[in-house]
Amino acid sequence: MLDDKKDDIFLSRWANGELSEDELLEFKAHPEYQHYEKIIAGADALDLKDFDTTNALLAIKSNRSTKKSKPTIKLWPYMAAAASIAIIFGLFLFSPKESFTTGFGEKLTVTLPDGSEMILNAKSNAIFDKNNWEDSRLVTLEGEAFFKVKKGSKFTVTTKNGEVSVLGTQFTVNSHKSFFEVNCFEGKVSVSNNKYNEVLTAGKAYRNFGISPENWSFKNQEPSWLTNTSSFRSIPVKYLFVALEKQYDIKINQNHNLDLQYKYTGTFPNDNIKVALKTVFSTLGIKYSLSQDGKTVVLEK
Amino acid sequence: MPNNKKSTCDERAFDEFFKSHSKLLRNYVYYKFGDLQQAEDIVQDAFIKLWHNCSKVPLDKAKSYVYTIATNLGISDTRHQKVRFKYKDYITQRKSDVNNESPEFIALEKEYMETLKNAIAELPERQREVFLLSRIDKKTYREIAELSNVSVKAIEKLMHKALVTLRKKIGNI
Repeated sequence: MLDDKKDDIFLSRWANGELSEDELLEFKAHPEYQHYEKIIAGADALDLKDFDTTNALLAIKSNRSTKKSKPTIKLWPYMAAAASIAIIFGLFLFSPKESFTTGFGEKLTVTLPDGSEMILNAKSNAIFDKNNWEDSRLVTLEGEAFFKVKKGSKFTVTTKNGEVSVLGTQFTVNSHKSFFEVNCFEGKVSVSNNKYNEVLTAGKAYRNFGISPENWSFKNQEPSWLTNTSSFRSIPVKYLFVALEKQYDIKINQNHNLDLQYKYTGTFPNDNIKVALKTVFSTLGIKYSLSQDGKTVVLEK
Repeated sequence: MPNNKKSTCDERAFDEFFKSHSKLLRNYVYYKFGDLQQAEDIVQDAFIKLWHNCSKVPLDKAKSYVYTIATNLGISDTRHQKVRFKYKDYITQRKSDVNNESPEFIALEKEYMETLKNAIAELPERQREVFLLSRIDKKTYREIAELSNVSVKAIEKLMHKALVTLRKKIGNI
């Protein structure tokens, strides 16, 4: 009954017509009954503005397609220029393979023939065969890139450190000399080389730089370097220096008694060399100076 | 990737799914976060997201997928500001065909309805959600429970609480 504090669903049973005849009679005699009845009657007279499903669906469809064409908008103007020059000179006649290279501190968005997207980080090179794309989706990579792969046949990235293949997903591959790292952001990717073969699911990463392979989990939705931040998770400073050098076209003088296998976790911005150097070296506790021409970083002992 | 299982990538299946689920999702988000316009935008974003991820979301998982996405969008939208539940222009009184009541009575009813709507707007979010899904959308307690993955008992308790709260707020008109 209403006054029974233990019956904490009495009113919902009543509103749903679940009370027994006796209960209902008793409730109707209760002074509160008319108030509750009025609330329900009032609420049942309420109406909510209608929802136009047909128009809403149309709106979704038009938004859906604008989203699809987005990669082409992001394409670098330089790229377009480079591509048209390439066509004018008929270079592709001699080499049907498309090659894209980024310089120091550059980033480049490339739309692959099937609409998949590849974003190259600094100092990286990617080659793919445009004419053969329908038969095999294959990209050869040296450096680091983020891939958003359209669904379809097997998509493979080969590097000299191993092969990464997927069906349709988002992931990064970083292969530099013997350093090899793969981060899977969506879907599943399989990583294999002669010693190793594993499937990574979304939010999982794999890395190997010679000693022993590691796996870990992460939470970001896309690589931090897309938003101009390089981030590292217990990486030997050797590779941290390589990343700095690639981003800023500098040379780090390593005549320092620093243990290059020392592990570093942290980030640095990709668009401000001063902040980047300060962030990295102050965390490492190293004094440094940048040469006059801004090309060499000297580490002080 | 050949996928013969019924998939949301199939245009017709997607449309069908949208038509049968979008309205309730919009209302659910509206009752929860208080802004109908925002709710419609969230529904749109949730379904676009479903379309983009259609290969990973089979049709039988799609419903809980869009509800989760929409709830998360609503939470991140309203995290910084507490939105007051907006009902003006959105919730109206159904036209009744009996108009032979006295003017005094109609005025009194009008006043009561305003008080009631105001009291509903002031309900705690979960109570309002359950109360309106039950009374406006005519959803059963079981259906409401499934939308937010809680027990039927929890919904019944919320409904009871909502009525008690409304009764307190409205007083004796």
